Amino acid sequence: MAEGKTTKYWKSWKEGPGASPLVQISRDEFPEPLDRPAEQFSRRSFLKAVGFTAAVATAGAGCSHAPVEKAIPYLIQPEEIIPGVSYFYATTCGGCSAGCGVLAKNRDSRPIKLEGNSEHPISRGGLCAIGQASLLDLYDSHRLKEPRLDGKVASWEEVDREIIARLAEIRKSVGSVRFLSGTILSPTLNAQIKKFLGQFNDGRHIVYDALSSSAILDAHQETHGQRLLPHFRFDKADVIASFDADFLGTWISPVEFTRDYAAGRRLDTKPLRMSYHAQFESRLSVTGAKADRRVRVSPQELGESMVRLASRLARFAGAPFPLTVNDSASVQDAVLEDLAKKLWQARGRSLVVCGVQDVGLQVLANYMNELLENYGSTVDVARPSLQKGGNDRELQALLDELKGGKVAALFLYGVNPVYSLPHGPQFAEWIKQVPLAVSFADRLDETSAVARFVCPDHHALESWSDAEPVLGHISLFQPAIHPLGRTRAALESFAIWGGQPKTAYDAVRDYWRENIFPRIRGAADFQSFWDRSVEAGFAVVSADPPKTTKFRTTALRDVAKTTVASDKFSLVLYPKVAMLDGRHTENPWLQELPDPISKVTWDNYACFSPRAAQRLGLEEGDVVRVETDAQIGSSPALELPIFIQPGQHDQIIAVALGYGSKGTERFSDIGPKWLFARPDVGEDGRIGKNASPLLSFEDGTLQYIREGVSIRKTGKRHTLASTQTHQSLTLPGNVPLLGGKQREIVRETTLPVLVADAKSPSSEPSKANGLWPPDHPYTGHKWAMAIDLTACTGCSSCVVACQAENNISVVGKDEVVRHREMHWMRIDRYYSGQEDVDVVHHPMLCQQCDNAPCETVCPVLATVHSAEGLNQQIYNRCVGTRYCANNCPYKTRRFNWFNYMREDHLQNLALNPDVTVRSRGVMEKCTFCVQRIEAARIEARRHDKPIADGQIQTACQQSCPAQAIVFGDLNDPSSRVAKLAQDRRRFGVLEEFNFRPSVNYLALVRNREGAEEKGKESQNHG
Amino acid sequence: MADFVLPAQQSLIAGNKTPADVTRDICHSLEGRPTPLWWGGFLVAFSLLLLGGAAVTYEVATGIGTWGVNRTVGWAVGITCFVFWIGIGHAGTLISAILFLLRQRWRTSVNRSAEAMTIFAVMCAGVFPMIHLGRPWMAYWLFPYPNTRGSLWVNFRSPLVWDAFAIGTYFTISLVFWYLGLIPDLATVRDRLCCGFRHKLASLLSLGWNGSFRTWHRYESVYLMLAGLATPLVLSVHTIVSWDFATGIIPGWHATIFPPYFVAGAIFSGVAMVLTLVLVARKTMRLEDYITIRHIDVMCKLLLLTSGIVGIAYATEFFTALYSTGPFEEFAFLNRAFGPFGWSYGIMVSCNVLVPQLLWFRKVRSNLWMVFPISILINVGMWFERFVIIVTSLHRDFLPSSWTNYRPTPIEISMLLGSFGLFFTLFLLFCRLLPVVAMAEVKGVLHVGHERRVELPATPPSFPSVEELEAVGAGTARGGLG
Repeated sequence: MAEGKTTKYWKSWKEGPGASPLVQISRDEFPEPLDRPAEQFSRRSFLKAVGFTAAVATAGAGCSHAPVEKAIPYLIQPEEIIPGVSYFYATTCGGCSAGCGVLAKNRDSRPIKLEGNSEHPISRGGLCAIGQASLLDLYDSHRLKEPRLDGKVASWEEVDREIIARLAEIRKSVGSVRFLSGTILSPTLNAQIKKFLGQFNDGRHIVYDALSSSAILDAHQETHGQRLLPHFRFDKADVIASFDADFLGTWISPVEFTRDYAAGRRLDTKPLRMSYHAQFESRLSVTGAKADRRVRVSPQELGESMVRLASRLARFAGAPFPLTVNDSASVQDAVLEDLAKKLWQARGRSLVVCGVQDVGLQVLANYMNELLENYGSTVDVARPSLQKGGNDRELQALLDELKGGKVAALFLYGVNPVYSLPHGPQFAEWIKQVPLAVSFADRLDETSAVARFVCPDHHALESWSDAEPVLGHISLFQPAIHPLGRTRAALESFAIWGGQPKTAYDAVRDYWRENIFPRIRGAADFQSFWDRSVEAGFAVVSADPPKTTKFRTTALRDVAKTTVASDKFSLVLYPKVAMLDGRHTENPWLQELPDPISKVTWDNYACFSPRAAQRLGLEEGDVVRVETDAQIGSSPALELPIFIQPGQHDQIIAVALGYGSKGTERFSDIGPKWLFARPDVGEDGRIGKNASPLLSFEDGTLQYIREGVSIRKTGKRHTLASTQTHQSLTLPGNVPLLGGKQREIVRETTLPVLVADAKSPSSEPSKANGLWPPDHPYTGHKWAMAIDLTACTGCSSCVVACQAENNISVVGKDEVVRHREMHWMRIDRYYSGQEDVDVVHHPMLCQQCDNAPCETVCPVLATVHSAEGLNQQIYNRCVGTRYCANNCPYKTRRFNWFNYMREDHLQNLALNPDVTVRSRGVMEKCTFCVQRIEAARIEARRHDKPIADGQIQTACQQSCPAQAIVFGDLNDPSSRVAKLAQDRRRFGVLEEFNFRPSVNYLALVRNREGAEEKGKESQNHG
Repeated sequence: MADFVLPAQQSLIAGNKTPADVTRDICHSLEGRPTPLWWGGFLVAFSLLLLGGAAVTYEVATGIGTWGVNRTVGWAVGITCFVFWIGIGHAGTLISAILFLLRQRWRTSVNRSAEAMTIFAVMCAGVFPMIHLGRPWMAYWLFPYPNTRGSLWVNFRSPLVWDAFAIGTYFTISLVFWYLGLIPDLATVRDRLCCGFRHKLASLLSLGWNGSFRTWHRYESVYLMLAGLATPLVLSVHTIVSWDFATGIIPGWHATIFPPYFVAGAIFSGVAMVLTLVLVARKTMRLEDYITIRHIDVMCKLLLLTSGIVGIAYATEFFTALYSTGPFEEFAFLNRAFGPFGWSYGIMVSCNVLVPQLLWFRKVRSNLWMVFPISILINVGMWFERFVIIVTSLHRDFLPSSWTNYRPTPIEISMLLGSFGLFFTLFLLFCRLLPVVAMAEVKGVLHVGHERRVELPATPPSFPSVEELEAVGAGTARGGLG
């Protein structure tokens, strides 16, 4: 459609030529598309006509009902748009700096769901909770819709005029220009920034990651002569030793690492094998929860443990160990000896990772990897990762410059330093003094609120861009929707300010033509390379490996020995799986996502070990003041509710970052409003407290651990919204006879037991036939699921994927406190053991029982059994007796207690049109994504082919980075799910009741010796 | 017409009343102005009703979220109240139908108010299943009515559908039975009024009653038949209510003992409620001559019996659970007694099993200042019995991850109070508008007309034995009226 650029579709007379002033206003929300090649944009140019104008006109009119409109069908059907048909566009996730590939599911011209791109070389199909939820950010009505100047809405012309004028002045006066950004994955943008800064005498680009891995890069500078972040290959590692690196949860690239890690623990090989993973950590992380051997150490002991492990490895390698070894530390020698042996035996197939921001320890980790010959195999420095490029030393230098008022222009891209730096408020003052402070933030956060210019960038789903998470693996962003506001890609802004206006599309394409295309071997012409890359969403090209030097043992240094007074604690600031550094703090899906370990939503808190809490006489919900030494006496102490976290070291307090930002004030009215509703936000009107003032700079790196923190009780209480109140499968101790006994809900075993079991003849009991013939013959398909608990890390991406797919409401903190969260898919988390707890993550969703207890009790037949084994829920028949939920042994049914908020019309565009939005008073639950089953059936029928195994992927399965979930037809003996149903590890939850659940679980296997001392002895952590 | 009367019969009504006295005494309260005591009671009850009405209105307008229920405890105070009120109703039916068939003539003094209580209690009960629905305006979907939705019908496997039938039937029969018994008395009321609206209304409602032998004959046949029809309901309604739980799979609900246990509990609570009401009515309306210590004594013994049955049921539940060695079953019961809701279990056992043991003593039974609080405590205990069954079974079921607590909201409490408000408002109105004692039946147990009256024996009153009943034969029961 070559004329697409000029054709304007209008849906009604009022909207088109006969537009009223009101509609005119709303139309102004969407300016004319920027000049872009017609062939690229024609397929989206109809957008204006399709939905948004109407939606925003509605919002603008301030009425809550859709206005009566005349709908006129298209005279000429736009290409690729068939109402009700979904298209998938390959693009890249902008949720964090990992650069995972996604497919944006577009329906009626708007993205409604993000799915992992299974061909993407980094993520290979998975997508994390943040990635799933980033869709909602696109439709956030709080996003800035236009640029701002001095806090007032301005036009781009005005802003550009001002900025260009000032830049010209700076060029004349030789002022320094600083560009402060988070890690930018886009090679195009990086090149453009470089070019832009090159126009100035003193232009520098400073990369600052709020969750910094700067120490790893610094350590490689010392040991390998190159400041780089290696690409860790967990799939190649048979033995993994991790020192406080939460690589399955929040560290560098969790989706990729989870996928790789799970690949090493698949347990489908013969003979059975799985990787061995030891985790040394002070707080309990998602990664620690999966570890075969988890060692609780204080942050101080961690360094010592590393030294001792390294000394042993050096001994095995026959290398002299230059550091002093202190063997008096608390970690048992046997543990380290055993680990050292395992690592040594797996030379070249092992991996040591360290997540501590301490260059000395990182050097030590490099040393161990070097001894273990892991460089080149599991630690790839030839194609290093570019996912974390932060340089804390440069950041510190910038802060000094700012303090001295030496910066003439400051550009802030993808960072919120006023919020996330320890000296935030001072930073705000400094920014105000910078003559040209430009923020690219897409909302008015702490930093952009004080910057004079705000030039909002597009959402990742609105713009062209690219990303190179790992050298040579380049991923493309392509717009899935026309920009919703008058935002502008940073690429374009720089092009304009640099004097060479260029669209983002041209910029990316030109960069690829000049820099990427030559690196591909044997490609004929650029156009076909480009088309192929856009279609696939990525390109893998050759890259010159960075020139590293031989390992420099001289970099090794003694680990500073610190001790903490017994009445003081070490404060560990950590990122939560859903919140990271707080960049998605305004996303309600992520705020309501229970933390995989604590199961708490809508808050951060100070985690204490049970023993520490007992010693201080604290109970969960008591508010304490977390006070540091006099160092920052000026900054106010942090007041936080406490949370009792089993498995945590007794000498630490763990507090999550990313909370308490200004943006969370919007959640004050997220929940239903009624007479006895309690506030959804804290006393200060925000969600949680910002812990960043307690960060510190030390040794040139941003420190997340702070020693010598004391605790003072305040006498106040704060309720935490936890979705799980009883924390273990052990029955509470105050119940006589049974107290302390274990419920057999989840099965777990160890690798040696499993191997021994595999040798014996099948011990699987033949499924006893019931007294009566089965009610349901299932002559066609029989849908079923298998969930591998060994693979599941509890990362909760399935929970958000389900929420996005099935239009699940957000209910707010108060409703979660009242145990009314709506998640259809939840991850139950149980502890076992006493001090050093083991953790089981147990994904729980409707089990689609063959003998479903819910079906018989519904008086109005609102829940019935399908011929294919689904337990269907008919919303418009439901009257809401809640008997089905009472009678559900798995408690997977969710009730609409209120009419939950659906008033944000823009946000409603994220709703999946295939799934009914439920009103109040009806029950809802998982139906194995029946809409996807039906879509596949229609497709299959259209092509006159049977539904192939794997053709239907439920939303949770699709998103799972560990591929723990398999869905399919049990009646098809060749399907994966049918094969897994025969697995030795298979069990059904509460099978003994003959509910016949359709979800088969595969037992959790830990790679440790024997039946193991753990698990049987029990303690109630509830 | 009987040639002799039962020894016990003569002492049923004290004060040597003549039929005229009876008519005057009973109608007195209808014809005069309400006493300040009545007004006081009515205002309190009506305020509670308004409070409950407001709470229900708010809940229906806003959502079930205004209750304290959650994803695990889906039922709580609402269904507790439902079962409680249904249970209360049972005593009325027991007294009016079963005791009638068993020729327990002491029932005549209390059957009218007991039946009224049944109807009002069923009305209170009926409100709860309706308002506890997520979408109360769709409540009619629970009935299998002809519709245009193709083959869509109700789910006959669901106990909630059985419930809808059971309660519907129960209410209908109770109402008809009560109304039928009222007809002769309404005629009396009509005859005492000369004109005006009340006269017209009474004329209409008494269906042209003329007191002829034929009228009496047919009346009694119908009454007997209806009593026969109502009798199985005493057993069936609460049995079906118990199936709401017993057919569920929740440990603590899934028990075969539930039907007899629930029926006994229902009669227990119902008799306690009759006792409470009758003691108040007796005092405030000066009916001491009609509702004597003997009546109260008999009802106390009935309480003692049903308390025993209920107590055995509690013990049996525990025994079954422990004997089953089903871990979930065992836990449900131990958790019931020792878990977070142990206090409610304590209230239940002490009020329902321990306190009624006092009734073994005649002195207690004859001391109304003892009987009255006991009757109230039993009702408290029986309310908590249902609460214990519903909430403690649900709140910690199979998967510990889903265990929750439950705390009622003020809205729920208001609705609980409102149901009492509704009940007492209706009952107080009934006291003012209709004869609280079945005059025609009471006249039947007066000595008047029984020529061969025997003196009251010195032995204490007792229930007649089966042999005695057989000896008396079928014809004696309602003879001698006219």
